[in-house]
Amino acid sequence: MTISLEKLVPIPLLEQGTSGSGIWEKDSVIFEQEKSYLVIAPSGRGKTSLLSILYGLREDYHGKALLDGSDISAFGWKRWSMLRKNHFSFIFQGLELFDNLTALENIELKNSVTGHRPVQYIKEMAEELGIYSCLNRKAGILSFGQQQRVAIVRSLCQPFSFLFADECFSHIDRLNGEKAFRLIQRECSMQGAGMILTSLHDMEHIQADERFLI
Amino acid sequence: MKHVYRILWQDHSRTHLIWAFLGTLAGFVLLLAGIQFYTDLKNVLAENRDLLDPEYIVINKKVNIGQTLGLESGFSQEEIEEIRAQPFADRVDPFLSNAFPVSGYTENERFPDFYTELFFEAIPDEYIDVKSEDWHWDPVKGTIPIIIPQDYLNLYNFGFAPSQGLPQVPKGIISMINFRIRLRGQGTGNYDDYTGRIVGFSNRIHSILVPLDFLQWANDKYGYFKKAEPSQVILVSKDPTDPSIVRFLDEKGYDTIREKLKSSRMNIILKFLISFLVAVAGIIIGLAFLVFLISLQLMISRSSDKIRRLNKLGFHYREISRPYIVLLMILMAGVTGLSLLLTAILTRQFADTASEWNLHVASSLHRIIYGVGLGLVILIAGVNTGAILVSTRRLCN
Repeated sequence: MTISLEKLVPIPLLEQGTSGSGIWEKDSVIFEQEKSYLVIAPSGRGKTSLLSILYGLREDYHGKALLDGSDISAFGWKRWSMLRKNHFSFIFQGLELFDNLTALENIELKNSVTGHRPVQYIKEMAEELGIYSCLNRKAGILSFGQQQRVAIVRSLCQPFSFLFADECFSHIDRLNGEKAFRLIQRECSMQGAGMILTSLHDMEHIQADERFLI
Repeated sequence: MKHVYRILWQDHSRTHLIWAFLGTLAGFVLLLAGIQFYTDLKNVLAENRDLLDPEYIVINKKVNIGQTLGLESGFSQEEIEEIRAQPFADRVDPFLSNAFPVSGYTENERFPDFYTELFFEAIPDEYIDVKSEDWHWDPVKGTIPIIIPQDYLNLYNFGFAPSQGLPQVPKGIISMINFRIRLRGQGTGNYDDYTGRIVGFSNRIHSILVPLDFLQWANDKYGYFKKAEPSQVILVSKDPTDPSIVRFLDEKGYDTIREKLKSSRMNIILKFLISFLVAVAGIIIGLAFLVFLISLQLMISRSSDKIRRLNKLGFHYREISRPYIVLLMILMAGVTGLSLLLTAILTRQFADTASEWNLHVASSLHRIIYGVGLGLVILIAGVNTGAILVSTRRLCN
């Protein structure tokens, strides 16, 4: 799978200006599977917008976004639902966890759609990120950092060709952040998937094939 | 999927749903029981119709001052055609009257002398409830068979005879008495005498009847009155319980022996009561349906954040609407099952009570009840499912 952008600009950014942007100013940007990309920008420069557009959540943009050559604006309900279940995984900046479900139930909610990973595997990933003890607690009472790691594990519980991670380490300490990145990287390479990470500032421990400053 | 159910069902308003459920249930029971009892009572009325034997209805115009003054006469040809055109009238025929003077007298020493002016009427034989071998006109023999109302004989035997010191006469004897019947044509001396014999007593027709072919022949031979319009019309109706008969008669100012149309009147009252019941049931079901619709929509809008979140996680809006549809189906199945059960219980009770009154009604549900119940449930469930799909879809992208 290849994602290519052709003069893509979110409409709200047009008024604000996009000068010097490594993505919005370019005629063409290509994201390929099995590669990793880091998008770095301060707040309000369109990092979340970019991922939301690629994930089909926003349609307020100029230009084109193509998936394997076909325009994503033409995709319907079924296509998006299928893509989100089998090809695109997303770690939302707002996490999108259900407060009333436990951490494990939140993960299972996603995992049950495709039955991608056995529970044991989920527990091992949680263990690796240091949230094993939180699994049976309601997501609503976990710290934001713990919630962030729950969301990371959840995003890995489905088949995907691309992982979109929106500032997913923002509330995790450096050590845990590195562990999380290694887990993500390992899962991506197991699935042969590409990843697009966004961040407020560059992070040395993140190895990326390409870095965009926007 | 079980987590999706848990997430979305959390936001239901139990009170709303319970009221909607109870309301729909009440409406259903009222409607189904109404239809059940109506079908039963209609059958009971149809049975009684055979007992009352009112298929033959004699219609006359109400007597008013106009007729007394001779301004209005009987049924015109157009009016008869109009009656004929009514859907309840299977067969309509006017009464034929004599167009010449008739008188009768006794010529028997064993009976007191008796002389009276008479009238004759005739209708086709199919309408007559008396079957007699003597009921035919034979010009060679010259005996006129006559049918009089049973009431006339009763009037004589129980009213007139005792008060005048005259003997009572049983039916059999009357039939043996020969009368002299004189038919007079125009001009003096233009008359003939015939033998008349009463061959039967009618409970159905209140008139002095002679065979139709005789009266036609006699009118040809002696008749000289200006041709009068028939004052009575007889009709046969397949369903005398049809309320449109009474409605038509009232509308046209016609009259009949109302007793015979009693079941028709009962039918009107019954229909009115049932329509009222059905209307009330309809309003209740309508309101309950709205509460259902609103409760489910409220549930969806309370869960709108969760629905958007599920959509972001890759759930199709159809998958998201499934918990609502399942909830709706559970409630609808409950309404169907319980309303049929309650209606069946009511039916059993009603049948028990009715059998005490010697009325035979079904103790189990009519097939139409299942049809109406299922049809309504499918309608309500269908509209609600549509509304659920539309509103969840609106929240997704």
